[in-house]
Amino acid sequence: MTGDLAALQRPVRVRITVAAVGQALATALSVAPMVAIVEIGRRLLAGGSTGVWPIGWLAVGLLAARLVLYLVAGLISHLADAELSRRLRLRLADHLAVLPLRWFAGGVSGRVKTTVQDDVAALHHAIAHARGELYSAIAGPAVVVCYLLWTDPLLAIVTVALVGAAQSVRMRLARRSAEPVGRIAAASAELSAASLELVHGIGVVKAFGRGEAPERLRAAATSYADAADAAQRISVRQRSLARATVAPATVLLVVTGFGTGFVALGWTAPVSVVAFALLALGLFELLTPIYAARDQRRRAHAAAGRVGDLLREQAEPATDDPVSLPAGPLSLELAAVRFGYTDEHEVLHGIDAVLEPGTLTAVVGPSGAGKSTLGHLLARFFDPTGGAIRLGGVDLREVDRAELYRRIGFLFQDVTLLRQSVRDNIALADPDATDAAVRAAAKAAAIHDRILQLPRGYDSVIGADARLSGGEAQRVSIARTVLADTPIVVLDEATAFADPESEAAVQDGLAELAAGRTLLVIAHRLHTITAADQILVLDAGRIVERGPHDALLAADGTYARLWRAQQGVAA
Amino acid sequence: MIALLHRLGLGADPRPLARYLVSAAVYAISAGTAFGLLVPLLSTLLAGHTGTAARWLLPLAGTVLVGWVAHYEQEVRVLALASAWRRRLYQRLGTHVVRLPLGWFDGGRAAQVEQLFGGGVETAVRTVHLVQALLGALLTPATVFLFLLCYDPRLALTVLVTVPVVLAVFVLARRITDRTEAAHHAATRQASDRLVEFAGAQPVLRANGRGAGGRALLRDALQDQYRTARRQVFGALPGEHLGQLAIQLAFTAVLVVGLLLATGGRVDAPRIVALLVLGVHFLRPFADLAGIAGGIRACRAALVRLDAVLRTEPLPEPAAPRSHADASIELSGVDFGYPPGSPKVLTGLDLVIPAGTTTALVGPSGAGKTTVTKLIARFFDVDRGAVRIGGVDVRDIAGARLAELVSVVFQDVHLFDGTIEDNIRVGNPDATDEQIRQAARRAQVESIAARLPGGWASRVGAGGGLLSGGERQRVAIARALVKDAPIVLLDEATSALDAENEAAVHAALAELARGRTLLVIAHRLDTITGAASIAVLDGGRLVEQGTHAELVAAGGRYAALWAERECAQGWRLAAH
Repeated sequence: MTGDLAALQRPVRVRITVAAVGQALATALSVAPMVAIVEIGRRLLAGGSTGVWPIGWLAVGLLAARLVLYLVAGLISHLADAELSRRLRLRLADHLAVLPLRWFAGGVSGRVKTTVQDDVAALHHAIAHARGELYSAIAGPAVVVCYLLWTDPLLAIVTVALVGAAQSVRMRLARRSAEPVGRIAAASAELSAASLELVHGIGVVKAFGRGEAPERLRAAATSYADAADAAQRISVRQRSLARATVAPATVLLVVTGFGTGFVALGWTAPVSVVAFALLALGLFELLTPIYAARDQRRRAHAAAGRVGDLLREQAEPATDDPVSLPAGPLSLELAAVRFGYTDEHEVLHGIDAVLEPGTLTAVVGPSGAGKSTLGHLLARFFDPTGGAIRLGGVDLREVDRAELYRRIGFLFQDVTLLRQSVRDNIALADPDATDAAVRAAAKAAAIHDRILQLPRGYDSVIGADARLSGGEAQRVSIARTVLADTPIVVLDEATAFADPESEAAVQDGLAELAAGRTLLVIAHRLHTITAADQILVLDAGRIVERGPHDALLAADGTYARLWRAQQGVAA
Repeated sequence: MIALLHRLGLGADPRPLARYLVSAAVYAISAGTAFGLLVPLLSTLLAGHTGTAARWLLPLAGTVLVGWVAHYEQEVRVLALASAWRRRLYQRLGTHVVRLPLGWFDGGRAAQVEQLFGGGVETAVRTVHLVQALLGALLTPATVFLFLLCYDPRLALTVLVTVPVVLAVFVLARRITDRTEAAHHAATRQASDRLVEFAGAQPVLRANGRGAGGRALLRDALQDQYRTARRQVFGALPGEHLGQLAIQLAFTAVLVVGLLLATGGRVDAPRIVALLVLGVHFLRPFADLAGIAGGIRACRAALVRLDAVLRTEPLPEPAAPRSHADASIELSGVDFGYPPGSPKVLTGLDLVIPAGTTTALVGPSGAGKTTVTKLIARFFDVDRGAVRIGGVDVRDIAGARLAELVSVVFQDVHLFDGTIEDNIRVGNPDATDEQIRQAARRAQVESIAARLPGGWASRVGAGGGLLSGGERQRVAIARALVKDAPIVLLDEATSALDAENEAAVHAALAELARGRTLLVIAHRLDTITGAASIAVLDGGRLVEQGTHAELVAAGGRYAALWAERECAQGWRLAAH
């Protein structure tokens, strides 16, 4: 997934390169004080002190220049990182908004959060540090080795051999740790997921968990710890050896040992040993940053891969050439509609129905018959896999979504309120709605009085100072649909029974919502829809019966059986 | 910091810790000693006494050897130490979090807990590795300094003067960084919560897509995150560079003093060169100090977050747990509000639920019905009064015992992303397959499995998102059936079960009720007319209690609710 990282960082590529060059120059300049001491020593030992002060001040000046370079380079690269993070997150958010809803089924919040937040954050090293560290790891050692070679080729070769040996051990270790590091990443992801699950299911965990963390979390923690141990343990001996070889004391011993010998043999000038005692020590460490950040780099690549994957998820096909809907009341027609969530498992097998303007249609049937799926198709949460749904004769797939949702409103069983003011929640479909309109909608949904009891009334924020019961939340969502004021409404009848203490009030609200509109009701309680213009009886993905209540009872089929079962419960 | 580490149990086993610290210290001191030995070696070499210089190689070699042994020891110890601590922390965090009162989990905790498990603990554990780096950055220069003091006090004093400057700058820089970091953290958490909300609310957002309301909320949060990230970049600058500046000043001072001594002829050339080399090596570790300080900051932040969670008090366990007599429940004079100090949800509530009977709780929303069940299951402790099971205050029953006694079936059932079977087994991990299938049958879960493409092996999605509300509750009832606790608290699902299954589920509930104390929060009055006792709650108080017939006859609150229900029953939807 190398390609992903490169592609993602393209917008800030120039800035990253500029910063990296600056950082490399700064690293090269950091040898200035050591070189200065060697050169000063050379002159002092030769017996003179001319030129000693200028060299000293030059070193101080170069160091200052280095600091400025570091500062500027760091600023450029980190600001580029912040900027890129923002762009990527906004891009991902925009992309999420166009992904088919099918993608969100089954709960993907954890994954979304991981990719948009953590994975984008994991790019930090790649953006703000990696290139600069790489350039520095080349420029720094190059300058040092050149200077040492110029000072004394023989001692330089000894030094490079020593550092090279340690470096080769390190490279072998790096290759070997690729697999365990991958395991750590996988274990860490599982640990995150398990902890999210713990928080969301804490009520159940407390009631059933016997005071222990859930098994999944414990297992995830254990396998994470195991993976971390394994990754470390395989390499402790070699790593320790490599480190010991290039430990400052060891390098000192080697260069002074060889240096003294070479001096005794007359091969080396004593002052050259000073250069090595100063510069050879840091050589290995100059290469370290690219290794120290190895994990981060891998993580960045993996993260970029996940960000890329999410961006590559197929967006919902846009309506290329939207057909505008005719004005006025429109009929809704289902023609041989087939649908399955997966290819193998078809849920609806050819549904035909027409909803005339201003009529009430009810869909009934045992659970699993496909009632809710039908509602979801009308909302275009999914598109039919066969047949078509037409509004005013226009296939829904050819209608611009915004226009579609101006004509059809939905009230499903699952209530979703956003963590914002109650007012904004009601005005979700039309943020410019007047306060009067919002209040009117709330009154129609029988929730106005309850809202006024909240600490800040309509400005109370859901989840902060507005804590609503399930039924109250349901009524806020009814108000939302009332405000949207669409000529067609698809309604889950269970909504009417969400808040039994004020059932009658909610029902009044729904009656108001229903008045003068085309209504499709997914019904669970048959007696509420006996007045429907037509009742569609769905069983196992097919319409098995249709007609008004009385006719269906007389036919004595599936509907009649459902009706009797329900009367039995009520009795 | 030390106290923090101690609280988090780093020193739980002091011996390996001590050996690690000692080996790290020995290694750091050996490095300093090697630098110290460099001065006589170099100055004799530069002065032309090659033979004397060679003799100084021996102690240097000895020091190197000691360093090797100490280094190896340190590496092995640190791994063992970090590994054991990591395991302990995960274990402690896991057990602690599940013991926290449920109130703690309200609002924004998901991201916080996930952050701790998914990286916070690891960052905290890294503290152990930092210790050796820190010891190296402190003890090595300290050793070098002692040598310098012996060789030339004037140069030693020069470097000593620079140390406080370097340290003061570090402290200042750190303050600035801390502040901007905290702000960025908070903004990131906000944005994360918005993201989770945004993803979860997609269906509603699309169906109300005209306003793009949810996206604006997310955009604002992301924009905020960006602003604080930029501020953090500037806030971190002093931390990264002021230290460098101080070190450069120190180097300049050492160089100037060294050159003054040399040009003044007070110290001969070979010696001053050797001393300057030592001066550079003295200062070098301070450059690492900036990186280490940054590492410590990150670790410290993680440690503080970890500590804050671990220090949050779980509900206290009884010192001397008592056994309950039977499965009766009694609330007497209970006051409760969440969080403590806020308006009371329950005020002076008295309620008696005899063992082995079914009691229904009814009342308007906000009456405190759900709160009653949460207090019985001890998700919270009462502010005043007492909740008793079998005559024993729930605070005097061991937590594990209480969990065995009580099953709770929530209104908003949360399922784990596993198979249906996995989800039922949560109720009793030791249940046989046969017991699980039987419970599934009794709770009408079989038909759900039949509907799903993968049957029993189908996963239910995170939170059970692939099942309807009614289906989730049926799974939860099966869960309670396999757990087989003597007390069951059930918050009836508000979402409707379809007629056929509703009848069956009620039959299963009737079976569950047999021989158990069952408390049902009823949302539909017709389901509880047969209950032994109906308790009507309003405004956090018990206003009526009796059988259905008694309460209807009494003509009070219940009778009014019943009349309203009769009217609602007659409701018909009509489009005209």
